[in-house]
Amino acid sequence: MAVKKRKERAVGGESGNSKKFKKYSNSKGPMKKNKNDKRKKGKGPRLPSALRTELDRLDPKIASDSDDGIDLDVGNDVYEYEEEVPQEESRKNRRFDPVENYEYELPEDFEDENVPSDDDDDDGDFGVGGNKGSLNDDVDASDGDEEEDDERHLRMLQGVTGMSTDAFGGKKKRNSVVISEAHPESEYNPTRDVLEGDSHITLQDLLDPIQGKAGYSKLRKRVQHMDRKSTSVQAPLPKVDREKLERMAVYEHSKKDITKWEHLVKRNREAPTVFFGGDVDLGFSTVGAIASEFEPRTEFEKKIASLVYDDKVMEAHKADGSKLLELNKISEEDYMKHQDHVAKMRGLLFRHEMKQKRIKKIKSKTYHRLKNKDKLKVESAEMLMDPEAAKEQARKQEFKRAEERMTLKHKNKSKWARRILERGLNAQDEGTRAAMAEQLHQHALLTRKINTVKDSSSSSDSSSDDDDEVSNEDRASELLEKAKEKTLKVLEDDEELPNSGVLSLPFMVRGMKKRKEEAIEEAKLALQEYEQLEGTNDAENSKPATASGRRVFGRANNEVPDSNKKTKTDNKMKMDNYYGNSDSEDDLKAKENVNIEGGKRNDVEKDVGPNYDRKEAADVSIFKNFDDNGDPGSKTTYEVAIFASDSRRKMKSENGIDKNAKKLQQVKEAIVHDKDMEEGEEDSDSESKQMVDGILSSAPKESYELPSQSELIRHAFAGDYVEEEFEKDKQEILNEENPEPDKPVLLPGWGQWTHVQQKKGLPWWMLKEHEDSKRKREESLKKRKDAQLKHVIISEKVDKKAEKLQTKSLPYPFTSKELFEQSMRMPIGSESNPETAIRSLNRPEVVKKPGVIIKPIKFVEMHHHEKSEDNKRSGQKQKKNKSKGASGKNKKQSN
Amino acid sequence: MGAKKENNGDDMDEKVKKYLRGEAANLEGLKDKKLKGQLAVREDLYGKSAKTAAKIEKWLLPSEGGYLEAEGIEKTWRIKQESIAREIDISSSKNQYDIVLPELGPYTLDFTSNGRYMAAAGRKGHLAIVDMKTLNLIKEIQVKETVRDVVYLHNELFFAVAQKKYPYIYNRGGTELHCLKEHGAVLRLQFLKNHFLLASINKFGQLHYQDVTMGEMVGNFRTGLGRTDVMQVNPFNGVVALGHSSGTVTMWKPTSSVPLVKMLCHPGPVSSLAFHPNGHLMATSGKENKIKIWDLRKFEVIQTMPGHAKTLNFSQKGLLAAGTGSFIKILADFSGSQNYNSYMTHSMAKGYQVGKVLFRPYEDVLGIGHSMGWSSILIPGSGEPNFDSWVANPFETSKQRREKEVHSLLDKLPPETIMLDPTKVGTVRAPQKKEKPTKKEIEAEMEAAIETAKDTDFKKKTKGRNKPSKRAKKRQEMIERAKKPFLEQQIQEHERSRKKQKTNPETEMPKSLQRFVRQKAA
Repeated sequence: MAVKKRKERAVGGESGNSKKFKKYSNSKGPMKKNKNDKRKKGKGPRLPSALRTELDRLDPKIASDSDDGIDLDVGNDVYEYEEEVPQEESRKNRRFDPVENYEYELPEDFEDENVPSDDDDDDGDFGVGGNKGSLNDDVDASDGDEEEDDERHLRMLQGVTGMSTDAFGGKKKRNSVVISEAHPESEYNPTRDVLEGDSHITLQDLLDPIQGKAGYSKLRKRVQHMDRKSTSVQAPLPKVDREKLERMAVYEHSKKDITKWEHLVKRNREAPTVFFGGDVDLGFSTVGAIASEFEPRTEFEKKIASLVYDDKVMEAHKADGSKLLELNKISEEDYMKHQDHVAKMRGLLFRHEMKQKRIKKIKSKTYHRLKNKDKLKVESAEMLMDPEAAKEQARKQEFKRAEERMTLKHKNKSKWARRILERGLNAQDEGTRAAMAEQLHQHALLTRKINTVKDSSSSSDSSSDDDDEVSNEDRASELLEKAKEKTLKVLEDDEELPNSGVLSLPFMVRGMKKRKEEAIEEAKLALQEYEQLEGTNDAENSKPATASGRRVFGRANNEVPDSNKKTKTDNKMKMDNYYGNSDSEDDLKAKENVNIEGGKRNDVEKDVGPNYDRKEAADVSIFKNFDDNGDPGSKTTYEVAIFASDSRRKMKSENGIDKNAKKLQQVKEAIVHDKDMEEGEEDSDSESKQMVDGILSSAPKESYELPSQSELIRHAFAGDYVEEEFEKDKQEILNEENPEPDKPVLLPGWGQWTHVQQKKGLPWWMLKEHEDSKRKREESLKKRKDAQLKHVIISEKVDKKAEKLQTKSLPYPFTSKELFEQSMRMPIGSESNPETAIRSLNRPEVVKKPGVIIKPIKFVEMHHHEKSEDNKRSGQKQKKNKSKGASGKNKKQSN
Repeated sequence: MGAKKENNGDDMDEKVKKYLRGEAANLEGLKDKKLKGQLAVREDLYGKSAKTAAKIEKWLLPSEGGYLEAEGIEKTWRIKQESIAREIDISSSKNQYDIVLPELGPYTLDFTSNGRYMAAAGRKGHLAIVDMKTLNLIKEIQVKETVRDVVYLHNELFFAVAQKKYPYIYNRGGTELHCLKEHGAVLRLQFLKNHFLLASINKFGQLHYQDVTMGEMVGNFRTGLGRTDVMQVNPFNGVVALGHSSGTVTMWKPTSSVPLVKMLCHPGPVSSLAFHPNGHLMATSGKENKIKIWDLRKFEVIQTMPGHAKTLNFSQKGLLAAGTGSFIKILADFSGSQNYNSYMTHSMAKGYQVGKVLFRPYEDVLGIGHSMGWSSILIPGSGEPNFDSWVANPFETSKQRREKEVHSLLDKLPPETIMLDPTKVGTVRAPQKKEKPTKKEIEAEMEAAIETAKDTDFKKKTKGRNKPSKRAKKRQEMIERAKKPFLEQQIQEHERSRKKQKTNPETEMPKSLQRFVRQKAA
């Protein structure tokens, strides 16, 4: 193939002929081939590179020399079917360079059965295709050269394989025939100028001679067909894209492979509980049970068994038993001895332990320093003595190095070192400088070897990298330089021939000489090529096409009730007072007998009384408030207070507000009089009522003495201030839980310059702040649960102890509070569920018997009908639920 | 027939609904497939459980509570105990009796939770334990002291008695086990079964909670509302309610020093109160001749009835007994519309003063403690006909009792679980708007941090580093470090407020002048 390419290039234009060849070669997969070729191809990717390259070189010749053009396909294109050269192999050959490729043409009937095996890898890879071409041109330039080439190659083959020249003989003969041009010019024997690329050989030329022969028309048709369909070959995709495609393919494939497990995984995932080894019979669980199962099988075992279970032996054993026990007896002396020994050992151990404890406690630095030194000494001594220890040491050293590389501990990175560097090294004293130097030295020591390793590896890396991207001209020239140097080195190098050993054997010496000669020859050729290349330097950079077949898997208005009402609680009447003097048992008894049920017929009137009274008091206080406060800040509060009153009060206060305080006072007095009157009435009521009430009529009155007058009065008026008190209480609690904002206070003199510039009132922002906080308070008051309930105070204090009974945040899979709470509504305990349901409600996610080995998941084919059924079932379930819910709702509505 | 079947189906549906305890979660909008699947499976299980529970209720709890039904112009409240006695079987008629014990004066009663045993306490120190099934007197003791109240603890083995100075705990044999001096002169005792708490209110209006398992005082609160002997536990949530002379009812829990709820129920003193077993209803009576029934979910009066009651009690089925003088009235609400009507009446012999009425659990019996001993009358339809041995078993053997004691101890609820709405347990806490800590609070916090920094002990270092000067320096450093976050916060706040002030004037400018505001370089 290489030859083919070269020729095309030499000719310059693209002839139809060459096109066709290309096409053939491009067609993937073998079509028709020689037998041996087929065989080789089959092995294709696994062939050692050396052998394969050899083949590559041979094939084109065969193709061009064979009768049929179709056979040419063997010349496998550079772009395909060329496995990437394994790294280690290319590395191995580094010293030979990619240039050492040289041309060799084999005769047409060459059989490559004897091609050297894997162990000869003297050939390099053919990374630089461009070089090849030019080199080969040179080779073709003269006959003599060619012959020489052949000979050399033969020699090399012989030298490498160790086979006689005869194996390659035939080839040589042929070659000579070709060169001598003894035969008339024909398709078998193209003229020299053809070979040299002076004229074209078209497919027609090749077809002409067989005109009229059998199969000709068929062949011609095919050729024509191919002619019509011929297209230019596309440039191969970039490596990255190709790999991407490959990966995609691999992914698709593996996806398909994995999806077949999907239903199994899905089933396990959806299952509320997974059972493992449900039907595994554990069998015998005890050792004794297993032992009793033992049956002798082998002859030996049988023999033993017959002996063991022999009646006589058994009897004897039984009889011996007592004797054996006697043997077990230990004399007292022995026992004591043993005891002593144990005690001694224990004592020693204890003492050792104590010593170790003491030593461990020592804090002295000098002691530890000396100890470490000793340790080091011992270690070094050991190293000298013991290779094992040396190895260990080396390993430790290596670990330290790796650590150093990772942490850069000794590279002035520590806080201490940085501080010193900040201050300047010169400012430091000797000791610190020395310490710094020591540290750097340490670093150098620890990293030195790494550097050397790095160098070598980087050089090799660069060379291999360059193989991949030679597009860069500079790099190419660099590479050439390097290659040149290396070849020169090879030329200059005079290997010494060993005088002893296997290599000193005469045939080995000969072989080596030959090989060396070859190498020198090649080097020379390479040098020539380099020079040429350097001249042009625009060599086509055909990358080594590596078509790797490897898979890589890789509320809101301002109307506010009650809020600003300031009822001054001057007289806090405690209800305790009612019973304050009734602690004694007898008193209590007497009180119990008081019947006051019917005593409050005129409840409403009484209720009005105190209310009115209270309201007025409040109003008075409000007026007072108004008088007191001249500042605009409190003006608003007054307004609010006027309208803030409960409904009952409002009705009354329609006319009451406008009246002056005096009038109110009069009314109040009148009411008080009324009340006194009522008191008297009530006293008489309490007695007469008892007779009237149906329920109470049965109760004998005479048997119980009446409670004292004062007590009765107290009971009768127990409810007088109840509501008022309660309201006060509520207000207090509200104030406590939602404190009222402090009144803005202005310090006299602050924010004022002189008397003239005196500002009026408080600054706006203070007032605003105050109002804001007020509004906030009112809002929070409105939000209270008891905002609408006049007679209820519900504490809003947070119980910190009870906080732990609620979750702060939603637990993970849940996203809505409602859902979580609904899922938690059902108790799952045994108290609130029937026996049959508890188990399934509390079943763990995984059920497994102890001791059962969990086997890996087994692939089970899922049938299509099953699959669909499953889907249907789940669908139906949902539907059923839905319809159920719907019907339930409907029922509700109908009900 | 068909209609009946349908009716049955409806019945089942209702029962299932009851056992489902609320509606199932709507999973349709749920995006999380995994959760959806899990919840669907759970819901399915719940449904099955509810269905079986409904079936069990239908087939295995056959006893239905009966009640008196009037025919024509008959009225149920005119039916006397004598007429009932004529109609019933012998075993039931055993439950109609009067025990006359005139000397040791007014008696109070308590039943065990299964209704098997009764403890009766006479004011003048007479204690008696009676097996209600056999009517055997198990033990009788005289404590020679005023006895104000008696209450059973978790089972019949122990009972607590409020005596003149202190409450005591006795066992069934009448042996004094404990004297609870901390409680003081207790007026009323209550026992919280699920929490194992003994609650008491003493002469000085102090409420005590004591854990009877470990003896630990859980709570001690001053009500500040004066002396009262009206106390009742809400069986639904364990909240203790107290009725006060100011007409208020306060509700308490052991972990809060302020009442959870304080409501003004009556204009006069509250004479008694009672809770419906479902916890939603409360009945109170005031000295102003009113009996009120409250809905505790809304804290609103449902019904106000005239009449006085010295003692009130709800039965398991929700009948309300009210006693005054020697007269007892039973109110019932069979329609379920929460409209209590007079159901039965009973008047004791003249001169008897009813001190306590108490329905006997799992029996249609009302126990009455009065000034002349105790009595028992039949109230058809008052007791729960089907007992649940998980809850209480009237036919309990001693072995079962022992076992149950251990179980209930293991299932004891901590005192903090007492709250107004126990269904809140296990739900998501409502986000609390934490108000900004006041300056004082911040300062106090800082002080505390500094104190802790000062109090830290240092390790004993080696010789050179243990100098007092170094120690002092280090301590100073620690204090500084403790202060730092607070100071930083202060600075931040200060800056923020300054910025606010700076930006405010611009935005506060009158609209007509706003266009003259300097444009910010964009």
